[in-house]
Amino acid sequence: MTDRRPPVLRASGLAKSFGHVEALRQGELTVHAGEVVALVGDNGAGKSTLISCVSGALLPDAGEVSVEGRPMPLGSIRAAMEYGIATVYQGLAMAPDLSVAENLFLSCELRRPGLLGRLGLLDKKAMRERAWQLMDGLGITTLQDVTLPVGDLSGGQRQVVAVARAVSRAGRLVIMDEPTAALGTRQSQMVIETIKATRDRGLGVVLISHDLPRVLQVADRIVIMRLGRVVADLAASGLKINQIVALMLGEQDNDREESLPA
Amino acid sequence: MTTLQPTIPARSVRSRLGGLTRSTPAYITVALVALVVVFSLISPEWRFLDATNLQAIGRNSAGLVLLAVGLTFVLGAGHIDLSVGATLVLSSVVAGTVAVRLAGEPSAAGTFPNAGLALVIAALAAVVVGGVAGLINGVLVTRLKVNSFVVTLGTMGVATGAAQVLTNGANVAGIPPAVQTSFGLNTVAGIPLPLVLAVVISLLAGVVLTQTSAGRHALAIGSSADGARRAGVNVQRSTIVVFVISGLMAGLAGFLDISRFGTTAISGHSTTMLQALSAVIIGGTSLFGGRASVPGSVIATFIPTVLLAGFVMVGVSSFYQNIAIGVVLIIAVWLDQLRGK
Ligand SMILES: Nc1ncnc2c1ncn2[C@@H]1O[C@H](COP(=O)(O)OP(=O)(O)O)[C@@H](O)[C@H]1O
Ligand SMILES: [Mg+2]
Repeated sequence: MTDRRPPVLRASGLAKSFGHVEALRQGELTVHAGEVVALVGDNGAGKSTLISCVSGALLPDAGEVSVEGRPMPLGSIRAAMEYGIATVYQGLAMAPDLSVAENLFLSCELRRPGLLGRLGLLDKKAMRERAWQLMDGLGITTLQDVTLPVGDLSGGQRQVVAVARAVSRAGRLVIMDEPTAALGTRQSQMVIETIKATRDRGLGVVLISHDLPRVLQVADRIVIMRLGRVVADLAASGLKINQIVALMLGEQDNDREESLPA
Repeated sequence: MTTLQPTIPARSVRSRLGGLTRSTPAYITVALVALVVVFSLISPEWRFLDATNLQAIGRNSAGLVLLAVGLTFVLGAGHIDLSVGATLVLSSVVAGTVAVRLAGEPSAAGTFPNAGLALVIAALAAVVVGGVAGLINGVLVTRLKVNSFVVTLGTMGVATGAAQVLTNGANVAGIPPAVQTSFGLNTVAGIPLPLVLAVVISLLAGVVLTQTSAGRHALAIGSSADGARRAGVNVQRSTIVVFVISGLMAGLAGFLDISRFGTTAISGHSTTMLQALSAVIIGGTSLFGGRASVPGSVIATFIPTVLLAGFVMVGVSSFYQNIAIGVVLIIAVWLDQLRGK
C-alpha cells in the first residue's frame, strides 16, 4: 500500500533522560494513515517514554515530531490533541470522582445550543447520551450507568472507558499504552476489534502490548525497542514470536539488527 | 460480535457512602433547623425567632457565605486557601480608605457630597484587591509548585501585615454612613441586602461549579491533577481560576464587612477563615478535592452564626461557639474520610 500523503506521525531523534537514566536515546516512529504499528520491548525499554514524548505528556530533550508533515509543538498534551492525537496511558488518566460521561468528555465538553451555550453552560444530557452510545459501540453490556463515578468501576471497565475516550477523540492517531493489561480475554479481543475499526476509519494506531500473539493479529508493522533505542522496524506479516522476543532481548547477536523493510 | 463484559464490582464502601455526599445539603439543613428549634424553645419568649435576631444572623452570615463559596472551589480543586480572612481584612481596609478619600468633606448635617460614587468605587476596589490576592496565590501555587497550604499561609501573613501597614493598625474611620443605611443595614422584603447579594452570587457560583467547564475542570484537577492533565485539562489555568474566585469572594466580603460595621474590623477576623473552612467541609465538600457542593457550603455557613446568636441569647458565653465548631469540624472531616479516598 503506497500513500502519497506524508505519514500521520513522524517522530525522529527523540531523546529523554531522567537524571542519570537515559530512558530514550533514539526515538524513531513513523505511522501512516490506516496503519497499526505495534511498539514492543522489555519492561524499561523506553516505550512509554517514547509515546509520552509524542502525546505531549513529556517534553523530550531532543527530537522532532510532525503530524501529516506539520511540525508539532512538543511537551503539550493540548497541542497534540489539536493535532489529532489521543492517547490511552499506562496507568490511570481519569478523574475518579467524575462520572464516566464526565471523563469521556473531560476538556472536550459539549455546550448547550444557543445563548446558554455561549454563556458556557454544558449540555450534560447530550454528553450522557453520546457517552452511552460510545460505550454501547464498544459492546460494553454491563456498564449500565454512565453517571457512575469512574472510581467505582473495575480496572477493566476504566481501561475500556479510556479506550473509548481515545478513539472518540482522535482525529489522526490513537496511541494505546498497554490498553489490555487489566483486561480479560474477551475484553482484550474487543479492544483489538476497536483498533481494527479505528484503522479502517483511516486513523493511525500505535499499540504497546506484551501480548505478542494478539499484537501479531492486528499489527501491520512491529517496532522493537531495547534499552532506550529502536532496534528494529519490521513488517508484521510472516514474523514469528520467537524472532520478536530475540530482538527484544538482544539475544541474536550483540551488534545492530538492521531494519528489514517489508 | 464479541462484547466486553467487565464485571460490575460489588458496590464499594466509597460508593455507598457516596450517596451520603449527594444528600449532604439535606442533612445539614436538618441539623440547622434542629439548632434553630432548640434555641427557639430555650430562648425567653421565643425571642430567637424575632425578625431582628434573624436579620442579624443573616447580616452576620453574608460575608461568611461568600468566603465559603470561594473556598468550595478551592477545596474542590484539591487545594486550600488559608488567606481568605486576611484578604477580607485587606480589602476592607483598602475599600474604607478609598471611600474616605473620595467621599469629600462632610456637611454640617454629616452628609458626604460624593458618598454614593465613593462607595461604589470602594466596593470595586475591594473586589479588585481580592481578585489580585487570589491571582497571586494561584500564580505562586502553579509557578513555584509550592503547596497551597504553605503559599496561602504566607500570603495570609502578607495580607494581614499590609492591612496594618496601610492604617498603622488602626481601623478606618470616617466612612460615609450611607454604606450602612443604604446597603449594610438595609433590607428587601425583610431580608438583609448583603445576604440577598451573597445568595444571588452563591446561586451563580453553583451554576459555574456544576454547569460549566470551569467548574468541572476544577473538580477534575481536585480528583486527579495528573488524570485531568492527561485528559487535556489546562491544570495551571484551572488552579489559578479557583484561587481568583476565592480572592474575589473574599474581596467582596471585605466590602460587606464595612457595610455591616460602618468601619473596618481589622482584629475581628481571627477565626473567620476557620469558620468558613469548617462550613465548607461540614457542607459536604471533600477536603481532598474532587467533590464539592455550593448549596452545602452556603447552608453550613449558618451553623456557626446560628450557634453564636443562640449562645448569646440563652446566656452561654460566645467562647463556646469556637469549641462547638471545632468539634463539629472534626466530626465532619472524619465522615469525609469514611466516604473514601
Ligand atoms: N518519570 C520517570 N522518572 C525516572 N525514571 C523514569 C521515569 N519514567 C521512566 N523512567 C525510566 O526510564 C526507563 C524507560 O521507562 P519506560 O519508558 O516506562 O519503559 P517501558 O514503557 O518500555 O516499560 C526505565 O528505566 C524507567 O525506570
Ligand atoms: Mg510502559
